[in-house]
Amino acid sequence: MKIEIKNISKKFGNLVANSEINISINNGIHALLGENGAGKSTLVKIISGQIAPDNGEILLDGEKLILGTPIESINSGVGLLNQDPLDFGNLSVLETFLIGIKDANPYRNLKQTKENILRIFQKYKINIDFSQKTKNLSIGERQQVELLRLLYNGAKLIILDEPTSAFSLEQKKMMFETLRSLTKEGIIIIFVSHKLDEIIELCDTATILKSGSVIHSISKPFDSQDIIEKMFEDTSSKIKSDKTFTNENNFTILVSGKDFLGRNTEDIEHRFSYGSVIGIAGLQGSSNDSYIKNFFTNEFSKTKLVLDSKIKIPKKTYYYMPSDRIEKGLFRDLNVLEHFGLFKSSETRFLNWNKIKNISSKKIKKFNIRANFSNEVSELSGGNQQRLMLSLMPENQSILLLEQPTRGLDFNSAENIWEMILSRKSKDIAIFFSSTDIDEIWEYSDIVISVSGKSIVNINYKKELTKDKVINYVSGIV
Amino acid sequence: MNKNIQLIQINFIRLVLTLAIIFFVLTLFGTSPISIFDSIIYGSMGSYSKFIRTLIVWAPISLASVALIYTFSAGMWNIGIEGQIIMGAVGATFVARSFFGDTIISPYVQILFALGFGGFWGLICGVLKVKGNVHEIFSGLGLDFVASGIVIYLIIGPWKREGIASTSGTDVFDKASWIPTIGQNEFPLLLILIIFVLYIFSFFIFKYTSFGLRLKATGVNEDAAERFYFSSGKYILLSFFIAGAIAGLAGFSQASGAYHKLVPSISGGFGFLSILIVLICSRNIFFTLIISFLFSALIVGGSQLQIKLGLDHSLIGIIQALFVLSWLILEKLKLEKILLSKIIRSNE
Repeated sequence: MKIEIKNISKKFGNLVANSEINISINNGIHALLGENGAGKSTLVKIISGQIAPDNGEILLDGEKLILGTPIESINSGVGLLNQDPLDFGNLSVLETFLIGIKDANPYRNLKQTKENILRIFQKYKINIDFSQKTKNLSIGERQQVELLRLLYNGAKLIILDEPTSAFSLEQKKMMFETLRSLTKEGIIIIFVSHKLDEIIELCDTATILKSGSVIHSISKPFDSQDIIEKMFEDTSSKIKSDKTFTNENNFTILVSGKDFLGRNTEDIEHRFSYGSVIGIAGLQGSSNDSYIKNFFTNEFSKTKLVLDSKIKIPKKTYYYMPSDRIEKGLFRDLNVLEHFGLFKSSETRFLNWNKIKNISSKKIKKFNIRANFSNEVSELSGGNQQRLMLSLMPENQSILLLEQPTRGLDFNSAENIWEMILSRKSKDIAIFFSSTDIDEIWEYSDIVISVSGKSIVNINYKKELTKDKVINYVSGIV
Repeated sequence: MNKNIQLIQINFIRLVLTLAIIFFVLTLFGTSPISIFDSIIYGSMGSYSKFIRTLIVWAPISLASVALIYTFSAGMWNIGIEGQIIMGAVGATFVARSFFGDTIISPYVQILFALGFGGFWGLICGVLKVKGNVHEIFSGLGLDFVASGIVIYLIIGPWKREGIASTSGTDVFDKASWIPTIGQNEFPLLLILIIFVLYIFSFFIFKYTSFGLRLKATGVNEDAAERFYFSSGKYILLSFFIAGAIAGLAGFSQASGAYHKLVPSISGGFGFLSILIVLICSRNIFFTLIISFLFSALIVGGSQLQIKLGLDHSLIGIIQALFVLSWLILEKLKLEKILLSKIIRSNE
């Protein structure tokens, strides 16, 4: 298999998404790198036939691929593995398979089809019960099933669009092994990811995109510092959590209920000073996000916050930011200005749009949101949506509850977000955030809460922990 | 501002295209679209008295439409609008038959009762939705039937005409209970004032108040409401109460303005028609005002078809349906946007 991408260009209105892209891949695993908005997704969508380019062509083994129709791409051997599994949660694994395979009528010879499917599962050493419903599988397992389905359909070029964001360490390892064995069969893999360590570990060659153009083509061995420098113009040094900061006021986290071994325990109290950044660590699928939300809703557990002053914390002190920005955090069809209006709506009955415009333009500038007032939030990129949510934080002293604040963002956007969050340390009572990325937890927290499964396993100051300890805690090893 | 002008342009092109489709289909029926529209316009606006008749039909439709803007904004399908209109009429009739009936304040007391009855009926839907998690379409449809049942019970039961048990309606109200009019042709000034005040008021609510914005936000994403420190449930309840109350006014208009009595199908299907109108207008208040008038003219003018052209009145139903369907399809196709950009480009 050989893929040649020639002069692919695509414009959306005035926005150049892809400009004269040329990539040629002969074998192995190829990484597609670039910050948010660099044009990776557009290119992936063009190859998989979801959108048609304005110009250019793609050759598969020298044959021209008809662009702009997904069926053509699939029939030519292109398989796309989406970031979030696109399957049918209510159907069984087998049924999902039967719907999505090439065979004209798989039910006609069900026994034979079943055997064929089983063979491919065995070949790649994946043990999943066929009869269970797809939604009962973990995200990682669902992705594996999807991958197998693509292989069953004879995919010779597989595109993985940030596939590991939902994987546990174990699953990632298995997936990488499978991918490597695939390349030995001559299958080409295009791997889209933000995570440099994964790319260095897995990929043979890489293309770096920036503002829609190819700026570098590199191959093994990779130098991570070099890649970062090529991807971003300014590589300002990382902001460190301000450790010298002290505040005399304290608050208490009251953990109650069952402990991680299921025993009934007494309430445990932890006292921390105002302005602490508290990272809630957990693996994918653990309840670390639920603990974040719990401080806001008190639905999940009895763990709660108590201030030293014993004043009941008013609801408005909390600012909760869900990880699902567009589904839970923002209002899809409302524009940016209306969001600021909504933010003001708790203070006033009548909306003075001129005043709101003034405040919003200041905030848009301060938080570096690339959008106009009249843009609906569904038109914004993930990073801009996240910055919009941050810009809506209350001005006064708050308790921030940030659910995976940098999920799906590239290094630069993520650092940018953290800069904004950490600048509030001196003002706020506490900043909670959850993450499945232990490096992020370690980088920014003063205090680490480790969650394994549904339980809090450990709460401690970072200075009394090691990174390995945290990894053990979240993995359930105590 | 520019965006508004563009919106008007797009809607204008869409209107022209929709009419073209209707003309085409009418031609397929072997009728002459020109003469049909001619007789509709003559029938609805050919004389002052015909115009007044159109206004009397327009009143409940425009009121029900503005009512629905509130519930649609909150993301609710207020199918119960028919029942709310009916209950408003019941409230009005209750006052007209009481000792207020022959006093000059009767219409004003009727307004209060219509607001209350309709609002209460709407609120039931809201409470079932928020507290009981019953889908508003089911409860609304159910409450529509209940409301019709109540009216029939009242007409053949407690409010039946002297000596006759008939479903043709109650006794005609005392003249003092009719909606006040002015002039020989009985221009319903009070009703028209109420409509315009409500429309301007609603425009203000949605444009300049926290309440309106929160209502809109509730409709987009109930989950996110909590993050902005308001409860979507409260706003759903309020939207149903307001919509029900305004729909109640539509019932008042039907009972005391159109029929001057309570009849079994007092809502006349205007509630369902209004749902279509609001859908066509994408909740835009001014478009709603205009389109609801067009539909009323269609209804009133349609009665001329039989007299002048010997065509069945049901043709109006076909025209209405064609209008709605073509409009919605055109909206989905976004044809006008393409056309408009072509026009602008060729001008440049």
